[in-house]
Amino acid sequence: MADFDQILVGEEWEGSELSLLETLDHVLNRGLVIAGEITISVANIDLIFIGLNVMVSSVETAQEVLRKRELQ
Amino acid sequence: MKLYAYCLTEGLDTLDHAPTGISDAKVSLFKHEELGVLVSNSEIDVVRVTRDNALAHAAVVRSVLDRTTPLPFRFGTVVDEQQLKSYLTARKSALQTQLEHVRGCVEMNVKIIQQVQNDEPPLPEHGLAPEGPGTAFLAEKRREIIGEERKTEHGAELSTLVREALEGLIKDEQVTLRPAERLVFAAAHLVERSSVQTFREKMSEAVKRRPELHFLVSGPWPPYSFANIELEFLTQFGVT
Repeated sequence: MADFDQILVGEEWEGSELSLLETLDHVLNRGLVIAGEITISVANIDLIFIGLNVMVSSVETAQEVLRKRELQ
Repeated sequence: MKLYAYCLTEGLDTLDHAPTGISDAKVSLFKHEELGVLVSNSEIDVVRVTRDNALAHAAVVRSVLDRTTPLPFRFGTVVDEQQLKSYLTARKSALQTQLEHVRGCVEMNVKIIQQVQNDEPPLPEHGLAPEGPGTAFLAEKRREIIGEERKTEHGAELSTLVREALEGLIKDEQVTLRPAERLVFAAAHLVERSSVQTFREKMSEAVKRRPELHFLVSGPWPPYSFANIELEFLTQFGVT
């Protein structure tokens, strides 16, 4: 799991899930892009966790990428 | 054979103990002039978003963070060797500028999640006689607008709170405010490595001052949020 600190108030968010969500938020939403070269599959995704906006945002990004590719 | 690209680096000639990449592939350093890219061979063009793949991508990028500050590629970047060379050649100047910008730094993130508010002060009454549907509609719109204004003010206040707490520590930042959502504030801060401990301490103090808020502070990350150079070959260079 990701190696970073968490300062969190409250008990509803479990640490390992947050680490994974934070990692997903970074690797899926951000970073250098070579246009037209990213194809990711969200079908059969084995991560089902729509509890925090970061994950929703990541999935939306993935779907947007797929839509753009379909249009090309 | 295609290459899966993890991150761009400078100043690396060899890899020490790089973890295995996507699909357990061996990671190597692809050198092109002064730039390097961590890559692994890929037999697939479409990379599945899975827990293992996402963590593998992150682990490879993180593996060089102790030695240099990489610019991560976005998950799923698969190219052939010629495309990668063209990319590095065409965008060399912009990439080097960005590498210089993040050199010696890491990314720290702050998120603020607001709890469901049941104790908000009531919105003001409209003071109009409840005559017809038109009046009721306008009164409701007024309440809606006031509610939105309150949320916007709250978001701005949180932004000020974090900015003041981290004053003097931030080289660059990307802030997203979503006043109407639970994840009301999300910020990525570019911070000198030597300031990470101070960053943590300052945020710990801010957390203690505002116990009613849920903070998530994470880092150090490779500067994912500061590697946003869009490389639109098609639109900029007419090259596909």
